[in-house]
Amino acid sequence: MSRAASIIDAHAMLGEETYLSLTASELLRRMDAAGVSTALARPLGAGLIVDNRAGNDLVLSAGPRIRGLVSANPWWGDRGLAELDRCREVGAVGMFLDPLRQGFFPTEPAPVPFYERAQQYDWPIVFRTGAYVFADVLAVVEVARRFPTIQFVAGFGGFADMWFEIADAIGSVPNLHLDASLLWSDGIEEIIKRFGAQRVLFGSAEPRNRYAAALRTLDRLELSTAEQEAIFHGNATRIFHLEPLR
Amino acid sequence: MTRIIDFHTHLDERWLHVKCDSAADMVRTLDRFEVEAACVFTIMGFYEPCPAHNDALLRRADQYPDRLIPFATVDPKQGRAAADELERCLANPRFRGVKFHPWLQAFAASMLRDTMLDVLQIAARHRVPVLLHDGTPPYSTTYQVANLARWSPETTIVLGHAGSADYVDAAAQLMRDIPNLYGCYCGPRAGDLRRLLDLAGPEKILFGSDFGAAGWRLLPERIDNVLEAGLTDQQLELILAGNAARLLKLDERPLAQPLLPHREEAR
Ligand SMILES: [Zn+2]
Repeated sequence: MSRAASIIDAHAMLGEETYLSLTASELLRRMDAAGVSTALARPLGAGLIVDNRAGNDLVLSAGPRIRGLVSANPWWGDRGLAELDRCREVGAVGMFLDPLRQGFFPTEPAPVPFYERAQQYDWPIVFRTGAYVFADVLAVVEVARRFPTIQFVAGFGGFADMWFEIADAIGSVPNLHLDASLLWSDGIEEIIKRFGAQRVLFGSAEPRNRYAAALRTLDRLELSTAEQEAIFHGNATRIFHLEPLR
Repeated sequence: MTRIIDFHTHLDERWLHVKCDSAADMVRTLDRFEVEAACVFTIMGFYEPCPAHNDALLRRADQYPDRLIPFATVDPKQGRAAADELERCLANPRFRGVKFHPWLQAFAASMLRDTMLDVLQIAARHRVPVLLHDGTPPYSTTYQVANLARWSPETTIVLGHAGSADYVDAAAQLMRDIPNLYGCYCGPRAGDLRRLLDLAGPEKILFGSDFGAAGWRLLPERIDNVLEAGLTDQQLELILAGNAARLLKLDERPLAQPLLPHREEAR
């Protein structure tokens, strides 16, 4: 089995939430063991939901191989926007929103100024998708229609029961991409076949999932070299404006 | 590597418009990943009248009586007929369990409490486990499924996905607190398995893959989810096979041997 020379993990998590826990040093150890060069990490738990500054500092101070996907709960309003401004100054590469945990509908007014700020900064937005009511992937599609210049990523790929919505969701707008971390391989393959490998990003969902499991799921698809390069690093480099490989 | 029994697979002709693997395909996949036996459930029987689907499932499973273990399903919306159908199926010792998918079968157990109690009591009398899809509102939340175990403490109830994507912590607590509630680890990931183990203990967790509902790759994906969780050999043995063997009473009632050797022709 061969994999792309460089692997970027588009969705790791740092901090603590209920039973999940991961520090930057432990993530780096797991990245090294799996041959992952860079991980985009977002905060977990209280750092994601209420204490955004602490959560963002955690992911922004973990560098240089861990890049920050920062979050501000839209219900913080102007204070949340100011936190995003601060994060931009210290190198955030995109925004993460969890409508389930942060308690908002993607289509309601509260998050709209946050989408506008992402647009202004040319930041992609990774949404947690998959849980019913708040984290409906079709709600994210509606937001993607309204903000066609923002690149969106369907975090967790609709896991679990929105697997039957996810492919059509990706196909219905050009600016929505799949985080392949938790979707089963048949679902990932369908998206690659119908819409191309440029719509899929490798993600680990560490510490919920494990690198070895996420990587082998993609290995079993027997991807071409070009598809591997797109999924393992090319798409993330393009969408998150990362420095190109040397 | 320890032995493996897959407690959650589907064996049907099709899922709506998508064709599914045959019994021979399924056994080839089991062989490839060294899985000794699999519990097999219908899919179209969740949408259509159950008796014909129970019969069809039994016919398919009977091609490999030493490998495929059919679970019957019934439609509790049919009232007495559901209980009768379950008695009919369980009179055949080949059926070793009952499967419900309240979401696809479109019933809230709380609206059919009398029938569900009858059905759970029948399963208890035949000493077979009842596995239900969990993790999905509005009919299959983990709490709804766990409630059935409280209604009928004599019945072994298995959460079909041990909380699935969004209810793992709830599943772990409920499996800990309710003696007759188990969890099929089918869908959650290694980080979730650690929580299930910490709260509910290794005797309450059974490996399942759900393959048959999707292609063969789902089986090794889901085996990886177990193997990557850093378990001890003893935990692996219980989760991958020991607990399933106990609930299926394989010691007391070993699986039938095939009438003719079939392994070669299946390859
Ligand atoms: Zn299933």
